[in-house]
Amino acid sequence: MHIPDGYLSPATCTVGYVVAVPTLAVAARKVTAVVKTRNVPMLAVFAATSFLIMMFNVPIPDGTTAHAVGGAIIAICLGPWAATIAVAVALLFQALLFGDGGVLSYGVNVVNMAIILPFVALGVYRLLAGRSPLTSGRRVVAAFVGGYVGINAAALATGIELGIQPELFTDSTGAPLYSPYHLGQAIPAMLFAHLTVAGFCEAVLTAGVLLYLQRANVTSLVPNHRGIPVTAGDAPATPARRRLSPGAVAIGFVVLMVVLSPLGLLAPGGAFGEDAASDLDLGSLGLAAVPAGLARYNSFWSHALLGDYGFADGQNPNLGYIVSAIVGIVVVGAVIFGIGKLVQVLSRRSGAASVDA
Amino acid sequence: MAADRRRRDRRPDEGQAPQHAHAPQHGPSDGPGDHAPLPADAPPDALFVCRDLTYAYLDRFPALDGVSMDLRAGERLALLGANGCGKSTLLKVLDGLVHPTGGTFHAFGHLVTEDNLEDEQFSTGFRSRVGFVFQNSDAQVFSPTVREEVGFGCLQLGMSPDETRARVDDVLALLDITTLADRAPFQLSGGQKKRVAIASVLVMNPEVLLFDEPTAALDPRTQAWLVDLIAELGAAGKSIVLATHDLDTLDTIATRCLVLSEEHRVVADGTPHDVLADRDLLLSVNLVHEHSHRHGGLLHSHPHGSGHHD
Amino acid sequence: MPETLLVAPRERPATPGWLLQGEVAMCPCGCIGRRTTGSFVEKTLTGGADLLRQVMFSEDVAAGRGFLQRVDPRAKLVGLLVLLVSAGLLHSIVTLVVMYAGTVVVAAASRLPLGFFVRRVWLFIPVFTLVAALPATFSFVTPGHLVWTTWTWHGAPVGITAQGLTAVGLVVSRVAVSISLVLLLTLTTPWIKLLAALRAVGVPRVFIVVIGMAYRYIFLLLSAVIEMYEARKVRTLGMTRHDRAARQFVSATAGALFGKASTLSEEVHQAMVARGYRGDARTLEGFRLRAQDLVFAVGVLVCAALVLGGDRLLGR
Repeated sequence: MHIPDGYLSPATCTVGYVVAVPTLAVAARKVTAVVKTRNVPMLAVFAATSFLIMMFNVPIPDGTTAHAVGGAIIAICLGPWAATIAVAVALLFQALLFGDGGVLSYGVNVVNMAIILPFVALGVYRLLAGRSPLTSGRRVVAAFVGGYVGINAAALATGIELGIQPELFTDSTGAPLYSPYHLGQAIPAMLFAHLTVAGFCEAVLTAGVLLYLQRANVTSLVPNHRGIPVTAGDAPATPARRRLSPGAVAIGFVVLMVVLSPLGLLAPGGAFGEDAASDLDLGSLGLAAVPAGLARYNSFWSHALLGDYGFADGQNPNLGYIVSAIVGIVVVGAVIFGIGKLVQVLSRRSGAASVDA
Repeated sequence: MAADRRRRDRRPDEGQAPQHAHAPQHGPSDGPGDHAPLPADAPPDALFVCRDLTYAYLDRFPALDGVSMDLRAGERLALLGANGCGKSTLLKVLDGLVHPTGGTFHAFGHLVTEDNLEDEQFSTGFRSRVGFVFQNSDAQVFSPTVREEVGFGCLQLGMSPDETRARVDDVLALLDITTLADRAPFQLSGGQKKRVAIASVLVMNPEVLLFDEPTAALDPRTQAWLVDLIAELGAAGKSIVLATHDLDTLDTIATRCLVLSEEHRVVADGTPHDVLADRDLLLSVNLVHEHSHRHGGLLHSHPHGSGHHD
Repeated sequence: MPETLLVAPRERPATPGWLLQGEVAMCPCGCIGRRTTGSFVEKTLTGGADLLRQVMFSEDVAAGRGFLQRVDPRAKLVGLLVLLVSAGLLHSIVTLVVMYAGTVVVAAASRLPLGFFVRRVWLFIPVFTLVAALPATFSFVTPGHLVWTTWTWHGAPVGITAQGLTAVGLVVSRVAVSISLVLLLTLTTPWIKLLAALRAVGVPRVFIVVIGMAYRYIFLLLSAVIEMYEARKVRTLGMTRHDRAARQFVSATAGALFGKASTLSEEVHQAMVARGYRGDARTLEGFRLRAQDLVFAVGVLVCAALVLGGDRLLGR
């Protein structure tokens, strides 16, 4: 899943850095707030661990081996931000010590393996594990699924990043300048390899290490699982008090949409039921003319900023599509944030009212 | 200094006038014993004064059970005891790395607690005056090169890079490791790593040096060199506390011994000569074997086959 | 000479009989069992040994007296980034090949063993890229002007296109140039100086300290892993099966690795705090830019401009 230099255009690499660098900065601050001075040796040692995990060969039934990343289990043990930094440092070693993962494409690799993988894996793990005790088998299953889903999410993102290259960057003869495989080829290729092989490596590693830690050193899991009982016999779990902040929901939505929006380029035609009046295939619909109401209201709103998801002059249609996507996502994200904030304010007020009553 | 051999078995509720309070008696921001004064029975030139220290790992595994001790300036104190008796834990308490659940620890006249060490000035003062050489050199030598490692302490305490570099060169020369200056730690042997660890502590010029099993896992030549070095440092005026169960070099290396039992208490306090002569004591704390004996200065036993103790 | 033994007077259990006798199962001529290559144990062990060897080799070369070794690491790092971006912007295979030739020349000037340099670059990613990209020469991946028709599919000819060939040529040469450039930097710069160069480029100090420490501990943890694998290897009679037990071993080793990592980080933290660490990372290395480094920087910019200009001309 490491993308070497040469597969991605400098533009894509820049976007990768633009996302990765602030996230790493945030991660550094978040980790320090939790563990204070302990963060440096902890991150260093777990970065080394992640690097070594990527070197581990996991035996597969057909006699070959495959590699895992380790981001999922680090996220479970130390939290997602620590996992981000640990995997990012391990990727740096790979890029500079081995020329494996690329220097220009470092940002994109960080986004895939150090951001998407740990966060998705941890999210799935927490969702599935619920408030079950630390030593329960349910957590092991949750870890297995979390690792599997996490690495496949990263693989999907990688497929998308590679797949949009030929759409966006070709030379004058139409030859792709970077990765030559389209979305329709890159995504299945990446997903196939990861759904079948690498996914299970990460899943087995995550579940296996959790199982080992449950038996050998369960106290090491306690810091990242606050309020959760250690064994089934301990005091019942405190009910989850955390409520999602509007900012977190908005950002989560934005990230999801950004990753998925290039998939629109896959579709051959337009979306169903959205044709302009002039594009209707009247013959197949059994109509003689365009319905009166449709004709009247179809051009009702003509003040579009980015008409037809592209620029006014119709140039660079794919770039136009992506710009439209960005604008749309930002606007919708802002609206969601606004709604979330409103909900928060209203619920606080009603909570205060019920206290007074 | 004619130290009588005293056998004391202190318990938390007996003994000297307790100077601490287990329950907080001050405001909510003060912890228990935050303002405890220096114990009245402490010797005037004592650098470290500990009273009734108790500590248990993970609140479950006891490591110290009512340990009291003093360290006078210029002393070379050896902590003796079998594995697991609490020597390492006591050293970590003396370096403010581990905070006892009960009892008090005063260093250089000030009480040392977790809260006090949060204060930058106090912490800088304390850390620059006490140096700790860990048992595991791999954990202590963590920087990318030897030079960086030795300079780490000085930089943390605020010294300028130029001054640090000069000091680093001096200490590397003193310990005869100048050729290793730009090497990475994974390229060093065990003895070399130990020298680097000691260099990294000496460079800060501490008053007190704490060693945790310094001669363990070293080859004989390096062991001999280390024993000489410790004696030299003592002669130069440094106060030294070392945890060891190497009884052979005790005479050279220490001026006073504190014996810890497997029940995590102090059971003897005297000169090496007196402590080593008390066979029953050494047997009771699992420091010697039934068949160990002395030839001249050497305390030893001969290997014997299985079934001997049937 | 009498030895010193300080042994506890506890009862030692009697030595089991089978331990005192010889073992008849293993035939000394080695006729029992088959040697298999490619077992996951072997692969991990060789991977670990390779890593160590590579690092030792890099440090040796970095200490040499070639052209690049004399340049300030910061200039080299910035130069690398400039040239990587330039290589990324090139549209023609010819300019990429010229760039590659340039890297080989610089490698020679820096006293790098050329055989190793070429092998190291080509043996891994570019060959793999070529194999993976070969389907892209076909029209079902890269449509365009057919150069060689292989077969027909639903009446339409399918074959290798000119665009496909160009695409594959571009990506392979680009990958080769990129790897060569990175290799030039890493082989001629000691790791510690590389870290300082990263600091100069703007990476926060906390990260530099974490990276430096992680580098140091890779080797410690690696030797722990190698020990576990070697212990397993010497206990494995016959074929290593890629079965559940094998996967359990890998998980258990990974788990033990995490346990060791946890303990180690605690110990290192105590060692750091004992020497005054309060969260503020400080390092010793300092650099001075000399005239020759500025010349180097200018040289790099000129090369980048030439290469990009040449590319534009060819593109017209």
